[in-house]
Amino acid sequence: MKVPVKWLKEFVETDLSAAEIARRMTMAGLEAENIERIGEDWDNVFVGEVVNVEPHPDADRLVLPTIAAGEHELRVVTGAPNIAAGQKVVLALAGARLIDGYSEELKYRTLKPSTIRGVRSEGMVCSEKELGLSDEHEGILVLADDAPVGVPLADYLGDEVIEFEITPNLVHAFSISGIARELAAILNEQAREPELVDVEALERRDDHVEIAAPEHCGRFTYTLFENVTIEPSPDWLQRRLIAAGLRPINNYVDISNYVMLELGHPTHPFDADKLASDEIIVRLAAPGETLTTIDHVARELDGETLVIADTERAVAVAGIMGGVDTEVSDDTSRVLLESAWFEANSVRRTSRQLRLTSDAGARFGRDIDPNGASVAAARIAELVRVIDPEARSVAFADKFLRPRERRPVAMRYTEIERLLGMTVPVERVVEIFERLDLQPEVVDESGTTVIKTSAPTYRNDINIAADLVEEVIRIHGYEHVPETLITGTAVPVSRSNERLVDQIAQNALVEAGLFQAQTYTMINEDDLLALSPDGNELPDLYGGYARPEEALVRATNPLRSDWVLMRPTMLPSILKIVAENLKYSPSVRLFETARTYQPNALDELPDERRAVVLAMSGERQAFGVETNEPDAMDFLDVKGAVEHLLTRLGGDAATFTAVEHPSLHPGRAAAVELDGVQIGVLGELHPRVAAHFGIEQRVAVAEIDLVVFAERFNAPWNVQPVGRHQPIQQDFAVAVEEATPAATVQAALQKGAGPLATEITLFDIYRGENVDAGTKSLAYRVTFAAPDRQPAEHEIERARDRIERAVGREVGGTLRT
Amino acid sequence: MSGSPPTASELRSQALDALGQASNQDELSDWHRDVLGRQGSLGQALRNIGQLPKEERRDAGQALNQLRQELETAFNDRQDQVRADALDARLVDERIDVTLPGRTQPMGGLHPLTQMQREALDVFAHLGFQTVEGPEVEYGYYSFDMLNIPKDHPARDVWDTIFIDSGEKEITLRPHTSPMQVRTMLAQDPPVRVVVPGRCYRYEAQDATHEWHFQQIEGLAVDKHITLADLKGTLAEFARQIFGAARQVRFRCDYFPFVEPGVDLSIDCPFCDGSGCRVCSNSGWIEILGAGMVHPNVLEWSGYDPEIYSGWAFGMGIDRLTMLRYGINDIRSFYQNDLRFLRQFQRARI
Ligand SMILES: [Zn+2]
Repeated sequence: MKVPVKWLKEFVETDLSAAEIARRMTMAGLEAENIERIGEDWDNVFVGEVVNVEPHPDADRLVLPTIAAGEHELRVVTGAPNIAAGQKVVLALAGARLIDGYSEELKYRTLKPSTIRGVRSEGMVCSEKELGLSDEHEGILVLADDAPVGVPLADYLGDEVIEFEITPNLVHAFSISGIARELAAILNEQAREPELVDVEALERRDDHVEIAAPEHCGRFTYTLFENVTIEPSPDWLQRRLIAAGLRPINNYVDISNYVMLELGHPTHPFDADKLASDEIIVRLAAPGETLTTIDHVARELDGETLVIADTERAVAVAGIMGGVDTEVSDDTSRVLLESAWFEANSVRRTSRQLRLTSDAGARFGRDIDPNGASVAAARIAELVRVIDPEARSVAFADKFLRPRERRPVAMRYTEIERLLGMTVPVERVVEIFERLDLQPEVVDESGTTVIKTSAPTYRNDINIAADLVEEVIRIHGYEHVPETLITGTAVPVSRSNERLVDQIAQNALVEAGLFQAQTYTMINEDDLLALSPDGNELPDLYGGYARPEEALVRATNPLRSDWVLMRPTMLPSILKIVAENLKYSPSVRLFETARTYQPNALDELPDERRAVVLAMSGERQAFGVETNEPDAMDFLDVKGAVEHLLTRLGGDAATFTAVEHPSLHPGRAAAVELDGVQIGVLGELHPRVAAHFGIEQRVAVAEIDLVVFAERFNAPWNVQPVGRHQPIQQDFAVAVEEATPAATVQAALQKGAGPLATEITLFDIYRGENVDAGTKSLAYRVTFAAPDRQPAEHEIERARDRIERAVGREVGGTLRT
Repeated sequence: MSGSPPTASELRSQALDALGQASNQDELSDWHRDVLGRQGSLGQALRNIGQLPKEERRDAGQALNQLRQELETAFNDRQDQVRADALDARLVDERIDVTLPGRTQPMGGLHPLTQMQREALDVFAHLGFQTVEGPEVEYGYYSFDMLNIPKDHPARDVWDTIFIDSGEKEITLRPHTSPMQVRTMLAQDPPVRVVVPGRCYRYEAQDATHEWHFQQIEGLAVDKHITLADLKGTLAEFARQIFGAARQVRFRCDYFPFVEPGVDLSIDCPFCDGSGCRVCSNSGWIEILGAGMVHPNVLEWSGYDPEIYSGWAFGMGIDRLTMLRYGINDIRSFYQNDLRFLRQFQRARI
């Protein structure tokens, strides 16, 4: 809410600067978001008086007024149609910084003396737009007759406007007077009351109001004004509305808006002669009933919409907006001024239903004080008396179904210390409560000091003792709260295996040379379609996961069409990041550990399963300047990183088996299995899938489940003692058919060698001379060791024989010598 | 062989001359073989002793044996010298350009948000807080209702929420980590001291300081005698660990429906030490989180008697904290994952 400081200071007397007011209020819970200074840059701009107006010798549409402003008196050139002698206007002299009135966007220019059609002009008279007061640029700004000629405009029209954020608990401060009340409490001042007219003493027409939907409307009043003159509001009132962010319309609409800003209670003026009669009915709309609101939108109402109606039709959506048929216009002579109170939930529901928000709806929707309705009516009557003195307030109607009483709230005095960890003297607490009009009373209830209060009807945020504690400390000052640490019982330790696994995985992949990414967890259908080579159907596997049978986890109100589904796989997210990075980086090595979302039955939360995704593409990083040039990373690079990861996670028993996967290269894809269960997939992306993500080069990826490692995290592992005996290493070259997987050959070697072989490492693959076509030779280094002895010559010999037989039997291979 | 065999002194001077010429291990070996070896000149001379008159043999033998000892010593000295020279030469030869880049494995790095999160959780772990996690796709019941934000309450509008397609039950992408306050209290008896890291979501347009997808850490402490002063002290410790030992903290009143009293915590600006700069909008203070005393309704609905137990909760944005710490001015850079950005976090703080 925008609060012009001059207006605020009408309600509370203070010399504090706007900045200091903003700071003090912010500390006490009313956050000042911004201070705008009207007239901040009005240098060389003064209040002037038009002495005379002469025609321009060479231009019909220009005139030459002479303007007096204190020591200055000069002739200027203007095209303003509305200028006349005797007016008070705004005179800008050379050097003034003004907004360009002819420019669509906001553009400043510095005024220089100029010659217009042969006539020298040393200054100019300004429009509202040129001063930044509004968009009005048709004519010049004409000031009030009593404007003080010669004073700098900033002194006369300048103001500071503090914009406060009004959180939902602060409806009592959703007005100038409410904010003033808060400020007065902070400053220990008395807030002033506005001038009122006693409308309740007017002729009463309470029986002219029927509230047919009492659960939606707790009070309805109207004041009837006759002999009204509709015209623009006086300058000062318009200026305040503009400063507070509202557009002036005419005097009665403006008064209604002014009082809404000032007291926080919305009202609505009807043209009484456009109503069927002075009988008002507050009822629910008939389903399908229509009403064209003052924004000229025809609205179809449902049966839960509360309307204000005359005897024939709906004339306003209650609490939100009036109808265009009955709005006040230039020929209005009688005004029926509604000041009512509507149920917050009803107003909020209708506002949502009609997608119609208004300043009135924002206030009623937060449950304002029903007692404010008659105060607002009385304030409006006072402003009408001042602004439209010919008008007469003739009658007042009031149906008050549910008066609101002050609310008793009590607090044990010890509650302050219990919640705040500090004491505030009881006298100080009482003083604070008195300032807040809580009417405190200190009583002794069987040895316990209790402070009884009653909350004013405008404070709907004070209901329990904790609310009172907050009132104490926000006025007393949070700077008094000491800094202490928790004492008392320690909390038992419980660490999450999933988090530990996550951290280990992150660390392992950083060690393996990858960078951690964090990507958006939402994707869309196209991202999943892109995972199939043809791009037109959903693949049956999403990364390492089977496509779920349930509908995917879908947002009903996605922020963008890019982010509709909670991702069932992380592959699309990381691939988009890879594609972006390849534009700038020759070597891209990325991973992410995060959750994938697997749907469950309707109304059940999805499984959020922790997993890791890896992607590598581009140059393999060279290990130093003198080494050979880098190759493109491929399957084996990502496999190396995965093996590193698995080792750190205790999964080095995992196996890799060639698989067909819709998203992956048919010859370069492997399933990762642990204890016979698939835990992930790795491979090079199918080139057509890569192309869907804008990647035209080799990219190797993996997606591995992490939960499985958390589940086995506490399984013990036993460390073998290190043998003191020298191990023996022997090399074995095995010739096998080209298609035989190396892992199978190694398994055969291990099977043949038995437990004596503690380590088997593939160190060479050879094809060519001395090896049959269609055959490859795999060279393994086998380490033989035993805990209690050095393996004997004959043991190695026997192992060699067994290896030979096993290789022949298991993989049809032969040992080469 | 003509003439008489060389005398010991002749042998000596020849051998020492030759030894002086030997400048590497091979030449030394050759010398050793030629002089001291079985067939060497000294051996020859010893064998020739038999040809000498009997009375000379003893002296000559003694002289040659002395000579052998002397030559062995000379050889060893010479060999040490040659080796030392060779080492010196090698060391000179091996001089390299120490400014060449080191030979390393490719180096990766943790994401800055991960580092910040780990650091924050580490501080709280030292303060006795357990780390727990909760679902991101969360029932509205926990995201709102149980947090004292009933349906149709204006406070609910503060959380611009992304909703998930569902049947009867309202399902949200959690707009904050606060649902875990309730889930934690429902699952265990007091005392409670937990921190909850995790991703959160809001229906909010993106710009340099707003993300629809962001990360929070929630904190919750509930026990008998837990006070707002404890909250201030705990968060002051945290702020000093992360932003420097000189940091001051300040509360101001703020509103969150699930706490009462509710506060915002600011630290004095670490960039200007509170004197005012661009980062702190010249205020000298920077807000880093929202907090407060757990609302009695939330305690009660979670099965804790608010007359006996009290507690506080806070929620801080990890993205914002990381931005503040490293002077990052666009929150979106965290999720763009440009390697040129990520590489700047290879230096680790944890
Ligand atoms: Zn600063």
